[in-house]
Amino acid sequence: MSETHKTDSEHGTVQSYVVGFILSLIFTLIPYYLVVHQTFSSSALLPIIIGFAVIQMIIQITFFLHIGRGPKPNWNLFFFASTVGIILVVVGGSIVIINNLHYNMQPSDQTKKLIADEGIYQIGGQLTGACREQAANHQVIINNSRVIPVRVLANQCDTLTFISGDGSARKVVFGTYPQNQSYAGESNLVIRKGQNQTITLSQTGAYRFYDQSHPAVSGEFVVGQ
Amino acid sequence: MTEHEIEAHEAEADERTMFGFWVYLMTDLLMFAVLFAVYAVLHNNTSGGETGRELFKLPLALTETIILLTSSFTCGIAMIAARQRKKAQTLVWFGITFLLGLTFLTLELNEFASLIREGYTLQSNAFMSSFFVLVGTHGLHITLGLLWMAITLGYVIKRGLNGPLVRKLALVSLFWHFLDIVWIFIFTIVYLRAFL
Amino acid sequence: MQHFLIGNLKWSSLPHEWFTIAGTLTFVMLALVVIVVITYTKRWKWLWKEWLTSVDPKKIGIMYFIAGGAMLLRGGLDALMIWLQQSLSSGSSHGYLSSDHFQQIFTAHGNIMVFFVAMAFVFGLINYIVPLQIGARDLASPFMNTLGFWMFIGGIVMVNMFFVFGGQYAATGWLAVQPLAAKQFSPGTGVDYWVWSLMISGIGTTLGAINFIMTILKMRAPGMKLKMMPLFTWGSLCSMVMAVTIFPLLTATLFLVYFDRALGTHFFTTLGGGDPMMYTNLIWMWGHPEVYVLILPAFGVFSEVVSTFSRKPIASYTSAVWGMIGVSSLALSVWLHHFFTMGASADVDAFFGLMTMIIAVPTSVLVFNWIATMYKGKIRFETPMLWFMGFVSVFAIGGISGVMLAVPPADFQLHNSLFLVAHFHSTVIGGVLFGIFCAISYWFPKFTGIRLNQRIGKYAFWCWIVGFCMSFIPMYILGFLGASRRLDHYDSSTGWQPFFIMMLIGGLIIALGVALQLAQILASFIQKNRVSNDPWDGRTLEWAAASPPQFYNFTTIPEVTSRDAYLTMKQQGLPKPTYEDIHMPKSTSVGVYIAGFATLASFGFVWDIMWLVVISMIGILIVFVRRGYDEHSEYVLTAAEIQKLEEARAKKEKELPPVTDNETIEDMGIIELIRVVLSFFLDAIRNKRWRKA
Repeated sequence: MSETHKTDSEHGTVQSYVVGFILSLIFTLIPYYLVVHQTFSSSALLPIIIGFAVIQMIIQITFFLHIGRGPKPNWNLFFFASTVGIILVVVGGSIVIINNLHYNMQPSDQTKKLIADEGIYQIGGQLTGACREQAANHQVIINNSRVIPVRVLANQCDTLTFISGDGSARKVVFGTYPQNQSYAGESNLVIRKGQNQTITLSQTGAYRFYDQSHPAVSGEFVVGQ
Repeated sequence: MTEHEIEAHEAEADERTMFGFWVYLMTDLLMFAVLFAVYAVLHNNTSGGETGRELFKLPLALTETIILLTSSFTCGIAMIAARQRKKAQTLVWFGITFLLGLTFLTLELNEFASLIREGYTLQSNAFMSSFFVLVGTHGLHITLGLLWMAITLGYVIKRGLNGPLVRKLALVSLFWHFLDIVWIFIFTIVYLRAFL
Repeated sequence: MQHFLIGNLKWSSLPHEWFTIAGTLTFVMLALVVIVVITYTKRWKWLWKEWLTSVDPKKIGIMYFIAGGAMLLRGGLDALMIWLQQSLSSGSSHGYLSSDHFQQIFTAHGNIMVFFVAMAFVFGLINYIVPLQIGARDLASPFMNTLGFWMFIGGIVMVNMFFVFGGQYAATGWLAVQPLAAKQFSPGTGVDYWVWSLMISGIGTTLGAINFIMTILKMRAPGMKLKMMPLFTWGSLCSMVMAVTIFPLLTATLFLVYFDRALGTHFFTTLGGGDPMMYTNLIWMWGHPEVYVLILPAFGVFSEVVSTFSRKPIASYTSAVWGMIGVSSLALSVWLHHFFTMGASADVDAFFGLMTMIIAVPTSVLVFNWIATMYKGKIRFETPMLWFMGFVSVFAIGGISGVMLAVPPADFQLHNSLFLVAHFHSTVIGGVLFGIFCAISYWFPKFTGIRLNQRIGKYAFWCWIVGFCMSFIPMYILGFLGASRRLDHYDSSTGWQPFFIMMLIGGLIIALGVALQLAQILASFIQKNRVSNDPWDGRTLEWAAASPPQFYNFTTIPEVTSRDAYLTMKQQGLPKPTYEDIHMPKSTSVGVYIAGFATLASFGFVWDIMWLVVISMIGILIVFVRRGYDEHSEYVLTAAEIQKLEEARAKKEKELPPVTDNETIEDMGIIELIRVVLSFFLDAIRNKRWRKA
């Protein structure tokens, strides 16, 4: 039969517990005061306090749990070390992957339009900026020769209605001929015969537009906060 | 079987049980890892609500940490007494550990109760859900640990401090130390981090 | 008040659709048959004492096999229903299943096959064989063993309970993707049954894994260093280390899903800040290593079988062990390949694609090892070797298609197509299931002391191979043609129907194969050709024990000095048996009670019956404490008693017909079997034999 009686060092003496206790206390209080007094920047503090936590864990593992001593092969240490490794994979891997997914899955222009159309105001805890309540309505009349008014000043979440002056079908393209732009997910608007087209001014900034059949007929709208 | 053979058999079983319980603790640690991962990913998702900085009280967290750390220390001293079969000392030191643990639990439950009273529940948003479940799971483990400690001490009073009960106490103290180690990370990643 | 008493249960929860009524009636009839037979043969006490409360890993192993076999039939029935629906449901026809029902069927099929068939057989094998192989008498914790088994049974109860209460299972796919599985989109109790059946059996698995690790690391025979362990034990060790690592991840994730559904938390919801992608991330962190948990014991089995039937030691033991360790370590670094298309950037996809491809390397080390072992060996093509050859061909196809899928751009085309389905069925059926069949045909003589009918066995094997190819090769093709998985209906213009019909026929051939396997076992018991303890001229320690082994496995634990310990013993002369006092664990009903309470508690969780939950938890606590502080859980079997048992056994052996190890036996064929069975029943009816007690 193998010798299975543990030595004193494997079970621990009062001394090891006292040393472990005092060290743990120190490694608790230092990060506490560092955070309370904001001694370093946030980005520097995070690895520092995590470092202190890891060291305190090692202190407690050594002085309270006595892992690492004892006959080889030390299976307790092996399982502890591999568990720590897997925790790093689980936690670290999740953080990296989820951040990567969030970065790549940000709403694009097209998605923003869908979000605005469907009234989705919040995704993943973040507000989308979709307009909840429309405020004022502005109108723009497009004739064969000009746009009335040439410049519309509006606030975000107001609506803008494009009207064809003579009721004929027109196509409104955003941007300046020949470089086009898109606005709130739309690259152009089709005004059908006898109808109007209304958009919600969810994006701020100054935008030009023109009639596709008469590129000289152009106008501008400015959306403020 | 001879006296020696029985003793050797028991010592072998003892070592095996401690090892098996250690492996179990590693599985418990991995469950906490999932909860930590979820907290790390979701702790900013407050849905427009308050963040940890506004809801947590750091001095309270420090107090809880020191109380739990002290109880881990007294638990270690209690185990030394147990291995020396000193029944009275064992009961006293484990009793102190128990009371400190109970204090910790009370403080934590108070913190939860005040948050809930102010309307911050685990249904509020993802941050609150992950906070309550992570810290709450630790609290549940503390509760079970206290229960286990009490039951074992009860048997010690009834049967005296025999070999099997010393083994049981060793398992309880292993569990208790483990919970303190997990708390180090809760204190750091949940409470301290909120104030960075 | 009504809600307090019975939670969300209503009259409409009881069976009222054709399949729930059929399922409930089937269970009732099966239960009645079992109850009648046991009562008639007055075996209730025997059943309880000898089997249900047994802590003997051999008995627990057999019970795992029986449960796994029953669930194989259930899961296979699900598969036939899927094949049938997909063959019928083209163009204007919509088959015979509603969409929702079809979705529940493929969900149940996946869960049952992975958790309650594959895991069951793997655990049964490890339970029975590993203690024998390492020269131990029992596992490290007999109590945890029985508890783990009954928790597994609790999981089976929960996964079938919906037939009686609730009428619906999860309709979300076997891993219940979020947010489909959230309360908002899956409002019934289906997903709750999913959560709790997996939760309970998962806890049982974790306990079992801890137990196996403790046993293998701490209870080997004196002298058996790690590098002398049989390869099946190595495969089991690596598998269980992985299991103990990943099942806590599953348990935690299941709790989070349950909290979302029951408590309104926002972990994986679409609103409130939840992140459904995190669920996919977590569940596959469990899901991918799980398949390696299943395959590694199968790799161990093949190593043993190839070595024994080639009469050669494994070509390179060290590289085989490192291959297994390599697979285990890498398994935890590839999980993202299950969601390449979820939107991660190219570098993240590329990293995981690379790691997935790298896993093929240690796997191939093992495969080449086996082939090298066969080279210049004296090969005997008994049934186990047939299953090994089947494995090599089928698993290789599956593995290679896996490496194809590991390439992210290819996966973007093939993700969630039938190509994927064909891939994982090739690896799981070809690897795990064939490994299990190989193991059973190899160790059946050890379990029962009789020869397994080889003739019917060979028919069964060929049915499986032909059926498998007919069923899954067209699936690869359909995947390339654009067919997605989980389709309950498709356009007739796709031209897929002939393929689906061919797959159905393949499935029927597989069903025939399963029937033949059952017939094989029946024929073996009818023929009762006895074997000695070592019918195959084995190399490892389990062959030193009797067939079937005594309940204490060995009279003396052997001293081990090398690999292939039993072969060495035979070469150096078998030691004389010596007798010594041994500690044996008492059987205990604690496992049954705790798992019973746990099952009741989960039923309470599913239906929101909180008093049931509370009482069950208290029950678990009380039983646990009483067992935990019970200091008399073992008894001593004295040397004298062992000697008496051994002598009684030797005497009985002399009265039985002689062993037929090396004889060529004319095995019973299928026609003869049918004739024997029919005449037995006709005879019993004619002579009214049931009148005698």
